Amino acid sequence: MLDFFTIFSKGGLVLWCFQGVRGPAAAATAPVNALIRSVLLQERGGNNSFTHEALTLKYKLDNQFELVFVVGFQKILTLTYVDKLIDDVHKEFRDKYRNEFQQKGTLGLLNGTFDFKDDFMRLLRDAEESSKVRPPTVMKTFEQSLKSQKTVKCMIETRGEKPKEKVKNKKNKGSKKEGTEAVAAPGKASVGDKQPSTAGDREELTKDEILQKNREEFFKRHMKAGEKSSKSPKPEAQKEKGKKPRVWDLGNSNAKVLDYSNSATNGSTEACPVEEFDPDTALGDRNREPGRLYDLEYESDDEAEEEKVIQNPSKPSTKKGGLGGMFGMLKGLVGSKSLTREDMDPVLEKMKDHLIAKNVAAEIAVQLCESVAKKLEGKVMGTFTTVTSTVKQALQEALVQILQPQRRVDVLRDVMDAQRHRRPYVVTFCGVNGVGKSTNLAKISFWLIENGFSVLIAACDTFRAGAVEQLRTHTRRLNALHPPESHGGRTMVQLYEKGYGKDAAGIAMEAISYARNQGFDVVLVDTAGRMQDNAPLMTALAKLIAVNAPDLVLFVGEALVGNEAVDQLVKFNKALADHSMAQTPRLIDGIVLTKFDTIDDKVGAAISMTYITSKPIVFVGTGQTYCDLRSLNAKAVVAALMKA
Amino acid sequence: MAGRLEPHLEALGRELRPPDPAVLSVLLALLAVAITLLIWRFVQGRRSSRKAVLLLGLCDAGKTLLFARLLTGKYRDTQTSITDSSAVYRVSNDKSANVTLIDLPGHESLRLQFLERFKAAARAIVFVVDSVAFQREVKDVAEFLYQVLVDSTVLKNAPALLIACNKQDVTMAKSAKLIQQQLEKELNTLRVTRSAAPTSLDGSATGGPTQLGKKGKDFDFSQLPMKVEFVECSARGSKGEEGDADFEGLEKWLAKIA
Repeated sequence: MLDFFTIFSKGGLVLWCFQGVRGPAAAATAPVNALIRSVLLQERGGNNSFTHEALTLKYKLDNQFELVFVVGFQKILTLTYVDKLIDDVHKEFRDKYRNEFQQKGTLGLLNGTFDFKDDFMRLLRDAEESSKVRPPTVMKTFEQSLKSQKTVKCMIETRGEKPKEKVKNKKNKGSKKEGTEAVAAPGKASVGDKQPSTAGDREELTKDEILQKNREEFFKRHMKAGEKSSKSPKPEAQKEKGKKPRVWDLGNSNAKVLDYSNSATNGSTEACPVEEFDPDTALGDRNREPGRLYDLEYESDDEAEEEKVIQNPSKPSTKKGGLGGMFGMLKGLVGSKSLTREDMDPVLEKMKDHLIAKNVAAEIAVQLCESVAKKLEGKVMGTFTTVTSTVKQALQEALVQILQPQRRVDVLRDVMDAQRHRRPYVVTFCGVNGVGKSTNLAKISFWLIENGFSVLIAACDTFRAGAVEQLRTHTRRLNALHPPESHGGRTMVQLYEKGYGKDAAGIAMEAISYARNQGFDVVLVDTAGRMQDNAPLMTALAKLIAVNAPDLVLFVGEALVGNEAVDQLVKFNKALADHSMAQTPRLIDGIVLTKFDTIDDKVGAAISMTYITSKPIVFVGTGQTYCDLRSLNAKAVVAALMKA
Repeated sequence: MAGRLEPHLEALGRELRPPDPAVLSVLLALLAVAITLLIWRFVQGRRSSRKAVLLLGLCDAGKTLLFARLLTGKYRDTQTSITDSSAVYRVSNDKSANVTLIDLPGHESLRLQFLERFKAAARAIVFVVDSVAFQREVKDVAEFLYQVLVDSTVLKNAPALLIACNKQDVTMAKSAKLIQQQLEKELNTLRVTRSAAPTSLDGSATGGPTQLGKKGKDFDFSQLPMKVEFVECSARGSKGEEGDADFEGLEKWLAKIA
């Protein structure tokens, strides 16, 4: 049933491979490489399964000897024994080849032959058998069942028996039940009378007799409520005497009758009953200064009390654990100790809260901590390292890994390429309202002009009032800073606009063809800000991007955003993917992180955004002047993030 | 005045002279521990001083297979590496010289981290290039090579650099000469674009204040402070998995370095 099972070291050497049902040997490498790249390297190692085309891959990490176990099977199958199989194989393999790993290190891995096939086949057979589906149970024949052994006599139920049982079981339940008890008693008596007579010949009770009997029981049981039932025939009798016309209360009366307001009260003050106005209760604090606005008062005393209360019970426990804890700490410092989940959990909890406090989105912090836990489970710590330091180190490496770009981030190089092919390099800016698209567009065009490229700004924000004027002002300023005389007579920046209310995609297309004719190097397309939930606007954006096929789609996000970042990016990407006609839809290619100067060290938004999209942060905006454009430094951001 | 000082001095002397044996022993123990730690660190540093040869390159360039072939001569299946592997390599014409071969992962998110860790110990660097996919990947190859070359530690130590053009067994592989020319052209452009990139968040420029090669002239590998050589090799070997790998040039160079 399995397609393949591979065991390889984290350094890349395949130690053992099992080819299952079909496929050449090379068919195992591509899905496993995809697994490594998308799950392990992007810190999404929280849950241990991954789908690649038609295969589902499940994996397990051995962090002590740096091994990875991967099993692949068809996606449509649901094999229940796979998890158990991986665990068993892991244990067997580790125990069998423990010497090679420990003593010989890498050379042991290279030279060793890992003849594991027999053990593996045995484990596979065991696992398959343990999960075999039992044949569906055969239905018992009528003769075998218990029902055929009962007589008909005991199967017919009488109403009298039921309330009797109920009363027996729930005697203490209240007056209603007492009522039923009282009712049931005569009922029982009557039924009891009837029972011996009908005992012998149940089968001969006709339907009518049963119905009558049941009706009697019903009425007797509800004797107390039966008074109501006796009432009910009465009003029925009365109603049938004659049809009376209905009288609506408000029907024929005129407005005067309907006016219930006290005619004297509206407008005149005397008609109101004079309340006892007590100025003290109304004003409250007599000692306040008139006109002053006081601050909120903290209830810090209560909090301090609570903390003391919590600390007190914890104190005796720490005292008791003092000596033992010290020895344990020393033991933990020296010698090799392998990390277990329980050791790591408190530390990871603290790190997760720390990350969330630094403005990382909550679900991403959870996933990150899960992935780090998976990577560290079973790892042997070196001497003089504590659990906290190991976990912190691993988390730091994971964060740096996430922030490293997965593809080249060199806009100038790509612009030069496009220049050589005599076509403009098109960059589109998208994002929600108010994140700084137009401001950062101006900064980026300043940077490009400094490097000698001419820029055409396409004003595709045809909705917001003043958007076109804003870009015109920027163009004027940039041209003042870099006049045409200093660049060989050509205008470095120009604005292409068609006013308000027109279709943005059309303007973009015209701008690009204008740039191609006039020989501009870069086209920067500014779009209107839109909320990610606004479906028609997202469709319009997707259409703009699909039709114009820009070279770079930049999502502009502000660093102040918290958990919203996840929602924004996911929905933007989804909209772009849904409305594109092509096989491989154009998604967001890069992120511009703006308003970075407003956050001190709560830089978590960078992590959230790169984790969700796995696209790099291309620019960072740190202010509102033209020089406030930076590139991301992964180490600095992670240092700020891990700082206490 | 002196009279007043003397009893004080006497009291001090009394306090200092018969010191508490416990305090003295604790002080001596701490001193011993400090000395041991210092010696230990010194020895560690000594042992790992610049005996390493790093295998760098993009993903799928063939570094792990080259590593396996050099050490054992046998062909092994490989997957994308996520951590480094290191082993001692004895040079073949038993000069009793040995170097530590370190195979670093080539994936984009890991390569710089591992380079940081091992660059100080590098005596030589082997940069493995996939000659078949080179045309497609030339920009990525050049960028990684650029990052390696402008690194301050690398510039200071100037380890010997060998650019191994791997996968020569495939017919479409580019020759070493062509790769050299293309890389020089690309690095020439990269010098300009990288130094013009926006400065980094904490102020350090991404391209570094160091200029690669000579200003004003086109970039050439001979302008670098370290020795650069180009070699063609094939880790898989022309006879496929059973045969040997074709990398005499690489082995000779390693023998020279050791």
